[in-house]
Amino acid sequence: MSSRRRINLELVALAAAAFAWLVSAQGFWESLLRAIFPAQPMVLMPRDTLAAFVAQHLALVGVSSAVTIVIGIPLGIFVTRRRGAEFRSLVIAATDLGQTFPPIAVLALAMPVLGFGFWPTVMALSIYGLFPVVGSAIAGIEAVPRAVLDAAEGMGMSPSQRLLRVELPLAARVIVSGVRTSVAINIGTATVGAAIGTGGLGVPIIGGLAVQNMAYVLEGAIPAAMLAVLADAVLGQIEAAVTVADSAATT
Amino acid sequence: MGAFVALAGVTVLPFVELRPNRLVPGNAYSVAAAGPWAYLLWLLVAVGFLSAVAPTARARAASSTASGYGLVIALAWGLGAASTALLVDQTAVARVSLGSGVWVLLAGTAILGFSGGEERRRKLLRWAGPLVLVAGAVIAAFVWGGLDRISLAREFSVRASSFWSLLGGHLAMSGAGLGFGLLLGVPLGLWATRNRHVRAVTLGVTGVIQTVPSLALLGLLIAPLAALGVAVPLLRDLGVRGIGAAPGLIALTLYALLPIVRNTYVGLAEVEPAVIDAGRGMGMSSWQLLWRVEFPLALPLIVEGVRTAAVLLIGITTLTVFAGARNLGILIFEGLGQFAPDLILLGALPVIALAVIADVALSALGRAFTPEGVRA
Amino acid sequence: MIRLEDITRRYGDETAVDSLSLEIAEGEVCVLIGPSGCGKTTTLRMINRLIEPTSGHIFVDDRDILSLPAEELRRGLGYVIQSIGLFPHLTVAGNICVVPRLLGWEKSRMVDRVDELLKLVGLDPNAYRDKYPRQLSGGEAQRVGVARALAADPPVLLMDEPFGAVDPLNRERLQSEFARIQRELKKTVIFVTHDIDEAIRLADKIAIMRDGKLQQFDTPEEVLNHPANKFVHDFVGADRALKRLVRVRVEDVMRSPATVLDGADLLTLQVGAGRRRFAYVVEPDGRLIGWVDTLGLDEGSVPEAALTRVVPADASVRPDDSLRDALSRMLGLGFRSIAVTDRNDVLLGEVTFAAVEDAMTEGDEHISNLPPEGAA
Repeated sequence: MSSRRRINLELVALAAAAFAWLVSAQGFWESLLRAIFPAQPMVLMPRDTLAAFVAQHLALVGVSSAVTIVIGIPLGIFVTRRRGAEFRSLVIAATDLGQTFPPIAVLALAMPVLGFGFWPTVMALSIYGLFPVVGSAIAGIEAVPRAVLDAAEGMGMSPSQRLLRVELPLAARVIVSGVRTSVAINIGTATVGAAIGTGGLGVPIIGGLAVQNMAYVLEGAIPAAMLAVLADAVLGQIEAAVTVADSAATT
Repeated sequence: MGAFVALAGVTVLPFVELRPNRLVPGNAYSVAAAGPWAYLLWLLVAVGFLSAVAPTARARAASSTASGYGLVIALAWGLGAASTALLVDQTAVARVSLGSGVWVLLAGTAILGFSGGEERRRKLLRWAGPLVLVAGAVIAAFVWGGLDRISLAREFSVRASSFWSLLGGHLAMSGAGLGFGLLLGVPLGLWATRNRHVRAVTLGVTGVIQTVPSLALLGLLIAPLAALGVAVPLLRDLGVRGIGAAPGLIALTLYALLPIVRNTYVGLAEVEPAVIDAGRGMGMSSWQLLWRVEFPLALPLIVEGVRTAAVLLIGITTLTVFAGARNLGILIFEGLGQFAPDLILLGALPVIALAVIADVALSALGRAFTPEGVRA
Repeated sequence: MIRLEDITRRYGDETAVDSLSLEIAEGEVCVLIGPSGCGKTTTLRMINRLIEPTSGHIFVDDRDILSLPAEELRRGLGYVIQSIGLFPHLTVAGNICVVPRLLGWEKSRMVDRVDELLKLVGLDPNAYRDKYPRQLSGGEAQRVGVARALAADPPVLLMDEPFGAVDPLNRERLQSEFARIQRELKKTVIFVTHDIDEAIRLADKIAIMRDGKLQQFDTPEEVLNHPANKFVHDFVGADRALKRLVRVRVEDVMRSPATVLDGADLLTLQVGAGRRRFAYVVEPDGRLIGWVDTLGLDEGSVPEAALTRVVPADASVRPDDSLRDALSRMLGLGFRSIAVTDRNDVLLGEVTFAAVEDAMTEGDEHISNLPPEGAA
């Protein structure tokens, strides 16, 4: 099992390296797209290099996901503590309701309220990303069996020791899967951010559709799809890694 | 906490904004612009604070609920009064639009409302009475309170005819994607329970599709469909071409697949083997077993999958406008393109409302389909 | 009634059942027993074609079961499994009516049948008819499982470790109820178990299997007294004499009660013929209330202080209990004899330790349910 995981890990690392090379190989894309669309005079969007689009996209997703994690996990932990208990049902109701809001609509609403550009978009993505992260943090921690907590308390662990050594390790898998969902949504929603002028891989897609240039569309769509699948695979590896710690902790 | 948020909304942040026309920024005005309604808003926020200090749980719930509902009504009339007052001596194109304070106040109101009632989804009927009251008061604010002068309402009246057709287009598109997703997804999920390889492939492929950003998937579909439409004129006549309903519909169907396939599979796979064995041993044919035992038991989970898919599709449908479809997404993206906040709201608010309605309605349907014997 | 001819079932290189031949007469209980993996369940499941034999033939009522459609065959064979497999979305009545519905019975007939069957398995129809499986205890669920199998009055019952998942106390109760129902209905039963005590208690014939091969097929008495080989000898175990007690029913060895004192108030000692030292005390209607030690008591009235009151259910056995039950009661209470009462606690007789000893040593003399002549 662990050797199989290592192979998976190597595959993911390899895929990441291949992706990095691919997006920096501007010439490769040009010749590929020219081969598919021989009639098209322009096959790459002149506004930026592909690497720059990817970099903008990663910046949007990276910053917003970081904000989401830094705020979301502690918030989830807080409402499962005695001190935060009174906010628990409120936060759960908010995350439930929030997740039914379409992310694109939330992004669109952010514009009149927060304004245009990178930071308002990051803020919108961060807020929307909170819902799955907070929800999974609460679910993960509350799924820890009562008996395990009793045992930890009986062995003389302080509340913070219980949290760090028992609850979080056991909840890690569920929390990471929430982060995984959140990142996937962020990557997807960030492509739409192009419509608010935040750059990223949505720029060639939306631009290409606007001027009926399918080469532009593919220039954005293929790397965006690859990036999303790659990010999902990386987080899947992390999820698998913490799952082993999880089962080791329960036995 | 809700009261604090609401307080911030009423005091610190701008209540409305007066703009010379619909596209340029204007001057912010505080809640005082609402005249006497401002005092009522203050009063209701104060009632909200009561909910934190009231002696009994009953009183706490009552005060937070009362201030929640009251704030919505007072807000509607206050906004109407403010826009009526501010638009005096202004040109016909001047607009009064909602300030950020209104949104924050609404968020606070929602929190107050939630902390008043226990569970949002379970008690829908108990909420119906107050909801009708609030809706009536808000409609009255449109008719008599001047709320129709607020810029969002003006934007709507300008676009009323196209709005309804775009809303219809939205429902048709999401509904069609969901329908195709069901037609494909349920049989696929069923097949996945019967065949290990099918399970690995369908769950794997639909999982990957789900991760691909919707805009990228749309882009990936448009290019080949455009090529296909050029190559086969007949298909082109049927609507298969790069731009138009086809790529959007295919993308929506693909997105609907994962939740439906997965939940169908899990629902059927979770039926206890002993139940199946008993049914077969009593002489049920595989069809009888499927219809009388397996599907009734899996149905709640399947409906749950449909709910997830519906909420997802209502959002993603907005993106199909990039492929030439006509729905509420047009308002959103035109609004973003023109920097016209009211137009964005006119598109985005109904999309959110549709998603929430679909969520509530399908949750209720899922409960209705849960056989009594397996209800928690 | 049921004939297995040279049945073999292979899974790849493994032979689960190896050229097995059995013949089971009508109205007989045949118990298939052996360690796990011996092929007993496979054999059972081949009879209702949940598993098809690799080679060989099975006849039910002299008809080759392969000549019937599998579903039709199964509707005529009641089927009970260890995990019961009640349909969670159907009520108790709905579960019982699964096969009648498949057979297209009329509604009124099904309603009557449900009540009849619930009474048969000892459940109050009014209390249980509309319950759902999750509201039942393990023992109740298993009774419903038996009722469901009996619903269409099939001549044959296939039971796969039906009482295996029930706690020991309930298991014994279910076993004796099953024995009672079987005496009433005279079904042909194939019963799989790994519990030799259960087999000895319920079987007319025991088929002991190991590694897919039949080791011995005989009456419980023969299996106990003349094991065919070392495996059977070891499998039956060392406490053969005790096991024999399981085959003897209390009513076959009980004698009329010692001295009976009539009426709790008029404790007038009536000296019986044998003048026994211990006398049972009963109410005028015959219900047992306790006993007295007559040593040192004068004839005439018996002082209340000499009466030892008992809870009849704890200090007596039923006529259809086995002698082993009687023995364990006696040992548990420290008595040399035990009262026999009916359902209403009416004293019917007593069983003495001496009678138990006789049954253990004399063996077959008191054995009930001897198979008909020549059935071996």
